[in-house]
Amino acid sequence: MKILGIDMGSREVKIALMDKNLIIHKQKISTMTFYKNYCLYKNGKLEVDISRLGISEEVAAVSTGYGRNNTDISMFKQITEIKAHVYGAIYQTGMKEFTLLDVGGQDVKVVKVEKGLITDLEMNEKCAASCGRFLENMAGVLEISLDKLTEYFKEPVELNSTCSVFSESELIGKIAEGVSMDRLCAGVNYSLYRKLRPLLFRFKGKKLILSGGVAKSKSLARYLANDFDEIIKLEEPQFNGAIGCCSYGSFF
Amino acid sequence: MRKIGITTTVPIEILLAANYKVIDLNNVFISSDSYSEDIERAERDGFPKSSCAWIKGIYGACLRYGIDEIVGVQEGDCSNTGALLEVLKKKGIKVYHFSYPSSHTIEDITSELNKFMKAFNVSLEQTESVRKDLNNIRNLAKAIDELTYIDNKATGFENHISQVTLSDFDGNPQKCAEFLEGKINEISKRPPRKQLLRLGYIGVPPMICDVFEYVERFNACFVYNEVQREFSFPRASQAPNIYRQYYDYTYPYDLEFRLMEIKKQIRLRSLDGIVHYTQSFCHRAIQDIVIKQELDIPVFTIEGDKSNCLDSRTKLRLEAFLDMLGDIRGLK
Ligand code: SF4
Repeated sequence: MKILGIDMGSREVKIALMDKNLIIHKQKISTMTFYKNYCLYKNGKLEVDISRLGISEEVAAVSTGYGRNNTDISMFKQITEIKAHVYGAIYQTGMKEFTLLDVGGQDVKVVKVEKGLITDLEMNEKCAASCGRFLENMAGVLEISLDKLTEYFKEPVELNSTCSVFSESELIGKIAEGVSMDRLCAGVNYSLYRKLRPLLFRFKGKKLILSGGVAKSKSLARYLANDFDEIIKLEEPQFNGAIGCCSYGSFF
Repeated sequence: MRKIGITTTVPIEILLAANYKVIDLNNVFISSDSYSEDIERAERDGFPKSSCAWIKGIYGACLRYGIDEIVGVQEGDCSNTGALLEVLKKKGIKVYHFSYPSSHTIEDITSELNKFMKAFNVSLEQTESVRKDLNNIRNLAKAIDELTYIDNKATGFENHISQVTLSDFDGNPQKCAEFLEGKINEISKRPPRKQLLRLGYIGVPPMICDVFEYVERFNACFVYNEVQREFSFPRASQAPNIYRQYYDYTYPYDLEFRLMEIKKQIRLRSLDGIVHYTQSFCHRAIQDIVIKQELDIPVFTIEGDKSNCLDSRTKLRLEAFLDMLGDIRGLK
C-alpha cells in the first residue's frame, strides 16, 4: 500500500506520497486552498478528500503539523511534528546520530537524536526574530529576494536588537548610515544566527542536519560550521515533515 | 544505642556489630519535606552554589538530625566527601573514614575492612554473624526486585524504595525486615502490570522521585534500579565472606566493572532503554559519555539539580523519547 504523508503548515500544506519506500510524488498547496478545495466538513469534522489529490487507491495516511488535530482521525494517524521531522531526517540521510535544526517560517526546533531516538529537544514558537518570518520581513525592507539575502555572510553589520520589530528600525537606521548592501544582508543573517545560538547551546558537537525553509540559507550554514563538526543540508528541507510522515507510516 | 551517620553505603555489618544505630544521611535528607532547607542551610554556611545538591543535603541533614559521629567514604564514592568531612569535623563531629580502594584487589579491600573493624573494635566473627542475619533481609529486597522484573508486579518506585532502604536498614534491621515482608505480601497478590516498555535506571539515586511514576503514563516502567540494587547487595548470600561481598559491590569501583553488571542486567531483564540520571556538578556526569558508547540500547540522560520533581522540559524530552522507543518496540 502507498503511504500518504501530510504536513499541515501554517501557510503551506506539504504532501508526499511513498511507494515501496520511495517518495514518488511531492506537492505543496497553500493552507487556505487546501482547506477550501481539498477538504470536506462532515459531522463537524474535517476530512481530507484524497481523490482531489489525484489518489484513487487506498493509502495509509499519516499527518502532522498545525491543523492535524482537526483532520479526520479514522483515516489519518497523527504524529507530532518533532517525530515527523526526525523520521524525515533519518529517512533522507540514513543517519541515526545527529542534531536536527529545523527553522520554519514560524518556529524553531532543535532535536538531538541518538541511536535513532530523540534524547533531547528545544523549541521556540514564541519569537518571530529567530525564524523564517524574520528573514522574509528583512528581505522586504532591503528589497531583495530571500534567496539572494541569505547568501551574504562577510563582515556583518552589527544589529543588536533581540526583537524582530526593533531589528527592522535598526536596519533602516543602518541603511540611512550608508552601510553597504552586502554588509546589511550579512548583518541580517548573522542576527538570525545569534538568536538561534542560545537554543543550540546544549547541542554543540557533532553532526548538524538543517531542515525547514531556512535550511537553504548559505550564510546560516557558514556561521553554524564553527559550532559543529559537520553541517548537512537536507535535499528536501521543506518536505521533511511530510516525508517523515511517510517514513513513519512505512513501519506500521 | 549510639547513632552514627553515613554518607553512602558502607560496611554496615561492622557498625551494627559495634552496636550502632546507623543512619544514611542521604535518606534523611531526601525523604524529608524540608529537604530544601537542608540545602539552604549548607549554602548559608558557605557551600558554593556550584556544588552538588546531595553533598549540601547530607550536610544540612547531618546538622538537623543532630549527628555527632559520621562515617565518610573518601575513595570510591564522591570526590567531594573529603571536603565535607573536614567541614563537619570542624563542627565537632567525630569522623571515621572508609575507602573502596581504587585498585579493587581483594587484598586491599580486606585490609580496608580490617582497619574498619579495628576502628570500631569488632571481630571478624561478630561481623560475619551480623552479615548472616542481614543477608536474610537482603534476600527480601531481592524478592521484591524479582517481583518487579520477573512477575511484573512491583512498581519501579516500590523497587527503588525497597532497595535503597537497605543502605541503613532504615535504622532498624528488624523493622526493615517486617516492612519488606509486608510489602512482598501485598505486592504478590496483585495482578501483573501491563506496561510494555521495560526501562532501566542507572546512576545515583534521583533527587526527582516522580520520574518512576511519570514514565508509566507512556506505557513504560522501570524494572531495574542499578545503584539502589547495589546498595542492597543482591549477591551477598553467594559471597563466602564480608571481604568478597564488598569486593563484588560495583558502584564504587571503576566504570568498566560497573558496566559489566549493567550489561548483564540489560539482557537478563530484557530492557528496551536506559535512563541515566546524573547530578549537576557531579563528576559522574562525565561518565555519561562512556556509558552511551558502551551500552547497545538507547540511553536517555536526565540531569537533576535541586528540585525534587521533573521540570516541564525534561518531561517533554522524556515523552518524545518514550514515544519513539515505543515505535521501535512495535517494529520488532
Ligand atoms: S551526586 Fe556526585 S557530586 Fe553529588 S554526592 Fe554523589 S558522587 Fe558526589
